[in-house]
Amino acid sequence: MHISSFRKTVCLLALFAFANQVIVPHAHGAIIGTDEAVAAEARNADLARISRVLSDQSVQQRLVSMGVEPAAAEARLAALTNAELARIADELEQAPAGGDALALIGAVFLVLLILELTGVIDIFKKV
Amino acid sequence: MTRQHGWLVVALLLTGCATPPDQVRLPQGAPTRIDLDSVPFFPQSRYQCGPAALATVLVASGSTTTPAQLVDEVFLPARRGSLQLELQAATRQRGRIAYQIEPTLESLVAELTAGRPVLVLLNLGLGRWPIWHYAVVVGFDAERERFVLRSGTTRRREMRASRFAGAWRRGARWGMLALAPGSLPAGNDVRRYVAAVADLESVGRHEAAMRAYQAGDARWPSSTLVQLGQANTALALGDTARAERLLAELLRQEPANVPARNNLAELLAKRGCRDAALIEARHAQAIARGGPFESAVNATVAEIEAMPIDTFACK
Repeated sequence: MHISSFRKTVCLLALFAFANQVIVPHAHGAIIGTDEAVAAEARNADLARISRVLSDQSVQQRLVSMGVEPAAAEARLAALTNAELARIADELEQAPAGGDALALIGAVFLVLLILELTGVIDIFKKV
Repeated sequence: MTRQHGWLVVALLLTGCATPPDQVRLPQGAPTRIDLDSVPFFPQSRYQCGPAALATVLVASGSTTTPAQLVDEVFLPARRGSLQLELQAATRQRGRIAYQIEPTLESLVAELTAGRPVLVLLNLGLGRWPIWHYAVVVGFDAERERFVLRSGTTRRREMRASRFAGAWRRGARWGMLALAPGSLPAGNDVRRYVAAVADLESVGRHEAAMRAYQAGDARWPSSTLVQLGQANTALALGDTARAERLLAELLRQEPANVPARNNLAELLAKRGCRDAALIEARHAQAIARGGPFESAVNATVAEIEAMPIDTFACK
């Protein structure tokens, strides 16, 4: 069976993430990382997300389908921490993607104007 | 229902809707006007405020880069924009700490006062109809109620403070610093700082992380999180003696610190000191029961128990 290189990379990355947090402690001892110590209480939530990434092995493919060059997509996934790698599958479609301030359209502008007129006027308070 | 009851309901409803006020209390003696004029400006191309804003804070932190170099790392063509997560990753790729400031206008103003520009996510639209935009805050003017931004194709954009506060609130008050390792944020949240440095550690930037932990240790000398980070980084850099010294010091201060005791056991095991490692590992096991590190510590104990006795000389 032909397995394309991006699939392989995603598998490897996902396995790496999984191994770091799940497999290693059961197989043999390991250093407890600073990130784990900081996020000890958030750990279970992260594990759940990681198994989701494992089941969805096409993150890189999705990056490519969203217009990213295949080589760049690989490097971008490699730049993420384990926790981020687990999150990005969800964030690709949904999370805010800051782009352009020039796209204001009339209706929105009107609402903004009203918001601005009714908003808090004084922000700075000198103590 | 009586009239009084009615007012009570209205009061309760109003309390339910209340959000923390968007206000900044300027401490006495603090400047009422800041304009970080030396922060560079990169006018954005269409949809590419992410690379432009990121280049602005990176160059201000001493890194040499351009928006064009960042496009391949952070721009997502199908979304016509950039994700916060990828801005953070690209920041770390240049050896900078991607530090997310506390989500308040006061901490934003504190960073500006300390001379650091802040990359912010603004929602220029509405909650349900968002227009996401990245910009860099470079100043404020309390007398005139303005914030100053590098935004889009405008080098110095003044925005009414109330308008900025609303757009920032609708962007969940996300603000990021690109910190050069060694410089510290104005905020005093050590957990937030260590979390950001630990992310540098996770992607293999150990030298940068070490500089950052050392700076953190100077400011928060009693923080065991900073000490643990420093010890783990020393270990990653191959400086076992230093890591051991740091862990021993940490454990004198906080004997029940499970990660430190587990890592000390691991370190001793790697040096071939089976007996000493087992004492530390069992101690860790006793205090880890029921906690988040229980299975990790159990595995450490099992690993050390399986070590052959007296094979290595313990140096």
